[in-house]
Amino acid sequence: MDTISFEQVNETLYHETLPNGLQVYLLPKAGFAKTYAVFTTRYGSIDSHFRLKTGEVIHVPDGIAHFLEHKMFEKERGDVFQDFSKYGASANAFTSFNRTAYLFSCTSHLEENLSLLLDFVQEPYFTDQSVEKEKGIIGQEITMYDDNPDWKVYMNLLKAMYREHPVKIEIAGTIDSIAEITKETLYQCYETFYHPGNMVLFVVGSFDPEPIGKLIRENQQKKQFGPVPQIERIYPEEPKPVAKPLIEEKLAVGLAKILIGFKETQTGLQGEALLKQEYTSKLLLDILFGSSSALYQKLYDQGLITETFDSDYSAESDYSYSILGGDTPDPEKLVETIKTELTQYLQAGISEEDFERSKRRRIGLFLRSLNSVEFIANQFTSYRFNGTDLFAVLPVLESITRADVEQRMKEHFRFEQMAVSIVRSATPQE
Amino acid sequence: MAASAQEIAFETTERNGMNVHILSTEKFKTTTIVVMIEQALSEEHVTKTALLSLVMKRATARFPDTKQLREYLNFLYGAIFDVDVFKKGERQILQLYMEVPNEKYLSAETPLLEEAVRFLGEMLTRPYLENNAFAEKYVTAEKESLRKRIESLIDDKMRYANQRVTEEMCKGEPYALLANGRIEDIAGITGANLYAYFQELIRENPINIFVVGDVDKGQISEYIATHFALQRSRAKALPATQVNKAVAEVREVIERLEVNQGKLNIGCRTSITYRDDDYPALLVFNGVLGGFPHSKLFMNVREKASLAYYAVSRLESHKGILMMMSGIDVTNYEKAVSIIKEQVELVRNGEISESEMNQTKATLANQYRELLDNPRSTIDFAYNGVLSGRERKLQELLREIEQVTVADVKRVAAKLQMDTIYLLRDNKGEAK
Repeated sequence: MDTISFEQVNETLYHETLPNGLQVYLLPKAGFAKTYAVFTTRYGSIDSHFRLKTGEVIHVPDGIAHFLEHKMFEKERGDVFQDFSKYGASANAFTSFNRTAYLFSCTSHLEENLSLLLDFVQEPYFTDQSVEKEKGIIGQEITMYDDNPDWKVYMNLLKAMYREHPVKIEIAGTIDSIAEITKETLYQCYETFYHPGNMVLFVVGSFDPEPIGKLIRENQQKKQFGPVPQIERIYPEEPKPVAKPLIEEKLAVGLAKILIGFKETQTGLQGEALLKQEYTSKLLLDILFGSSSALYQKLYDQGLITETFDSDYSAESDYSYSILGGDTPDPEKLVETIKTELTQYLQAGISEEDFERSKRRRIGLFLRSLNSVEFIANQFTSYRFNGTDLFAVLPVLESITRADVEQRMKEHFRFEQMAVSIVRSATPQE
Repeated sequence: MAASAQEIAFETTERNGMNVHILSTEKFKTTTIVVMIEQALSEEHVTKTALLSLVMKRATARFPDTKQLREYLNFLYGAIFDVDVFKKGERQILQLYMEVPNEKYLSAETPLLEEAVRFLGEMLTRPYLENNAFAEKYVTAEKESLRKRIESLIDDKMRYANQRVTEEMCKGEPYALLANGRIEDIAGITGANLYAYFQELIRENPINIFVVGDVDKGQISEYIATHFALQRSRAKALPATQVNKAVAEVREVIERLEVNQGKLNIGCRTSITYRDDDYPALLVFNGVLGGFPHSKLFMNVREKASLAYYAVSRLESHKGILMMMSGIDVTNYEKAVSIIKEQVELVRNGEISESEMNQTKATLANQYRELLDNPRSTIDFAYNGVLSGRERKLQELLREIEQVTVADVKRVAAKLQMDTIYLLRDNKGEAK
């Protein structure tokens, strides 16, 4: 195994690419009681159009990656959760736009739990009956999200920003789309995306890396996989402009919820360039809209925003965007005020003091996030799929200058790239 | 020296009439400091305490302007700072929270730790005042914020249903109150009466300060003594939480709202709290019933009947309430209630397999050992001990869980009284 030392943060990472293509990362943390392991495939809700090994191109139902994640837990012998419980582990999984992750945390029996994780994800078992049964369960999960105004306002914003790209589609699909899922389509997706060459295993916590590395190697040697495939994902061409400037929906909420998005035009970046764009954008948002900004305090004092107001930048190679918003009594006035203020910022630029303070804050927040083994494992994996390195965040942050942020401000905040999503109550309160 | 890897070992001393608990460990890249001010949960105080949490974080004498205060936190390398309220049993806790990076990872000259303690201390000792009262501009703005916060409870349907069933089952008990208080009390609060209340609170109510991080105990104690120079009288005793209440009959409450999914919440009284000898058995009981994905509720409501995505039970350990929760299609209401009742009966009858017992003990033990890796969780664990008056060691609790038998679980299950069945449902269909 290779070792990579990150002296500034006092961490050592062990890495190995196994013969079957699996990327293995081990990060021992001294003094920790628990170990967290996450086994991730680069396959999410946006990967619904692709070429099968047979050469045929297929379009699978929306929500199938998430459905597959649910079904991996069911085996002929029963439910995998039962096995993890036996060894005291807490197991789970999640599906996002571009990846599916299976995970557990435990404070004992690491070897058993790790073998269990590798085995259950590499051993699909789907039957017609169990697929049908899952539709009721996931149907309730979808309905739960339909009642969640924060999720709704976010998904609607993606629908407003993206005309073609499948990031606008609900991760879990709809009741109608999951009705079309069969065990055959599940196997087709599994065969395409669950090859070890498309996956990353990250283990972080309390363990000795040598025996754990050996266990993983031996586990993988016992299994047969074909050669590492070239996966061909087919994404539609996404036009630069937003799909719709505004989407509104009515739901039972106290105050209206609003999100404003700016769809990125500088796409196609990878590796360190993408990381730098992400953190430059985050600094920009902190400076303009963070809780210490003049604009935040002004909007708060006017009663236009509440403590829920927040902003963030999401960086992916072909769909990046910034989002800001929260609860508000007057969505229209909030949008107008933000547009006016933003225009002024674009002319006046950013002060050195604001820039330095925000940079210090981001450095502190990053250090804090390294307390969390869950953050390290998931963020590392997510970055890895974009050719980016989590431990490069500190040096990249330190390299960003005020000029970079001002440049970013000019290229990112274009009003024609702006979309708005509002969720408000059907029955006005007053 | 680093603390034991297997125990949550705070060292406690008294400073200025407050209890200071310090856990020195090299595990974390930050230092966490939490101040807990304890108040009886009551109609009289609840809204004032909640408003106080919002007004306090706007300014101090050194930072009269909120923007300056927030800028200073960024200057301290993005120190996390918040003031909040929550309830534990019939206690309302006003919590000041701060987390700063450990200086050893930074090339900074700022003495971050002492500055963080000073900043928190000033929240209590040097608040921003105008005419010997909290500034009206902040009080007025935060009254509005508090109103909005209470109104937006409805946004999260799971939390809303949980609060509504609690109000229904604990009518007339302090526990029915929301930690954020009541809208009707807000209008009567002024900068002057809020400041008077604040002074009383920091003079008389129990205060516990927790520190977790790579710190020198002697040094941090000195910082606290210096920057929390409060004039305190002896901490007053607060009334005990009402735990036992006879339930004459199970009530059914159905509420309608614009929702897609029905939220079914069943509130039960256990008559057992954190301080009781039966508490470990209660933990196992809850684990067998609905605490985990191997539990009876998950296996039967979700996996077998396919009725729900979530079907769980949760404990409130200071009031002794067990809450069963599930999100269902309203047409399956009767069916879900009947399956849930059946699961409770099975546990009551001791129909628990050996593997259910072993899995529950193993996952519970794991859950507790995982607390060791999170500064916040170690503080919560220690504070549960302080609040309940029974300070169990982590290893002691783990041993007690290990020793629980099926007979113990049956005994605990026999005490369970179902109190209120609550359904939040859509506006469609006939009114029931």
